[in-house]
Amino acid sequence: MRPHDNRAWFLVTPALLLLALVGGLPLLAVLNYGFHDIFTLTDVHWVGVDWFADILGSERFLASLGRSLLFSTLALAIQVPLGIAVALLLLGYGRHAVWGLMPVALPLVVPWNMIPMLWLGLIQPETGLLGPGLAAIGFDWKFTGWHTWVLILVVDTWHWLGLVVVLAYAGLSAIPPAYRQAAAIDGASRWAVFRHIELPRITGALAIVFLLRFVDSFMIYTEAFAINAGGPQDATRFLTLELGEEIKGFSYGQAAARATLYFLIVLAVVWAFVAATRERET
Amino acid sequence: MMRGLALLALAGFILLPLVQAVILSFTATLPTDTLAKGTIGLMNYRNVLATPDLRAAMLNSAIYVSLNVALCIAVALPAAYALARTRFTGDRHFLMLILVFRVTPPVVLSLPIFILFSRFGLVNSPVGIALVHCLFNLPVAIWILESFIRAVPREFDETAYLDGHSGPSFFLRHLIPQIAPGIGVAAFFCFIFSWVEVVFARILTVTGGKPITMAIQAMFSFQTDIGKVMAMTCLSLLPGVAMIWFVRRHLARGFTLRA
Repeated sequence: MRPHDNRAWFLVTPALLLLALVGGLPLLAVLNYGFHDIFTLTDVHWVGVDWFADILGSERFLASLGRSLLFSTLALAIQVPLGIAVALLLLGYGRHAVWGLMPVALPLVVPWNMIPMLWLGLIQPETGLLGPGLAAIGFDWKFTGWHTWVLILVVDTWHWLGLVVVLAYAGLSAIPPAYRQAAAIDGASRWAVFRHIELPRITGALAIVFLLRFVDSFMIYTEAFAINAGGPQDATRFLTLELGEEIKGFSYGQAAARATLYFLIVLAVVWAFVAATRERET
Repeated sequence: MMRGLALLALAGFILLPLVQAVILSFTATLPTDTLAKGTIGLMNYRNVLATPDLRAAMLNSAIYVSLNVALCIAVALPAAYALARTRFTGDRHFLMLILVFRVTPPVVLSLPIFILFSRFGLVNSPVGIALVHCLFNLPVAIWILESFIRAVPREFDETAYLDGHSGPSFFLRHLIPQIAPGIGVAAFFCFIFSWVEVVFARILTVTGGKPITMAIQAMFSFQTDIGKVMAMTCLSLLPGVAMIWFVRRHLARGFTLRA
């Protein structure tokens, strides 16, 4: 058992100060701006909760919220099982698995704004490697809503699968071999081994995967904007695209109110998630 | 057999966009007086390296990413040690707090960060970006280092104390060599999250100090030399690929949720 020692705060303080500067202060500022109408930095008026009422009352906001939630759900439903499957597959290769981990981690080091560009180049009808084939089967990501969805989901999966695989593999490879040997002696099926031995022991790794993937897919901007800027006909208009429009339109008060709302949504999900994990632990 | 096929399909999926980028980067895509379109060669890479703006952008990115990694490790190490070795009042709240900062979407904070940092004269400077990237990198560094320190038996600390090492000398001479792989993994994750980030990097570089990501963005114009863009993109992948190679044996330690 670790001893109780409040001198530990000295060691934690630098981290806390740094986070207060780059996270705490800006967060308070956003909260404050959200209650003001901002023309310039010197011409600011108190408007109370007007912005919040406007945003929450608009159907566009609710529609975008729905789309973002759907996108996150789909991204998690595809990437988490797929990532675990790949990690299990690699686990079978023992120490050679590292040759699989390195390539799947590769998309993680690609600058975010280059990812949509790489994919748009790949499916470009004339010059892309996949372009002619996709054009032949009538794949039209510019003007058909669900095709754009498919493309963004594929690109997002390409981008982030590596993180799921690496973290799931980390959890799986930490399970002592004795557990699997015992299960093999009992004649447990592959599914039973996964369900009762592997899954419970990688929940810590999966929890962080879930949270990171939820937040990043819920707040997807770079890829979605570059691929179709919310189109066609707002079919891929996610929450962040609306925020981006307001910032570009210098509507700072409203943008800040919106940012506050997004932060609160993310916070609520994280809090519920952590509370649920803690409950299972105790 | 099935496993082999599945892995092959996965490799195809992962590598296909990168293969196309590499092919294009060696192909002349804008015909010039001396070169026909479609010529294969190193001209795109020569063009990139001959452009001062692009060279400067690579340097800028390298500076703020290194600064960020150094800062994150230096600040995270004591905090991780405290969390791994002791309980203290508010430790779970601290863990919850860093989780909240890790998941705060950058776009939410971009506006006040810009205003705050312009007051301090940190706009257009690599220091500003290095600082703000700590928002999401510091928590990750703390989680990773904490799990590595926890794996070192407590007796190790006590032996070092008996040898008369305490404080900074204990961290530098004993703990850091002991958890070197952990520092490598933490540096890797900090590196990738900082190198690829674009929201803060864009908003904090208005007129100068452009990072590699923004420099690539600026190469798109009415007549884009896509070969040159791809050459720049491939170059921008090299440090990341090198990082993956260096930590390949320890990559599988990953990090888990601590809250």
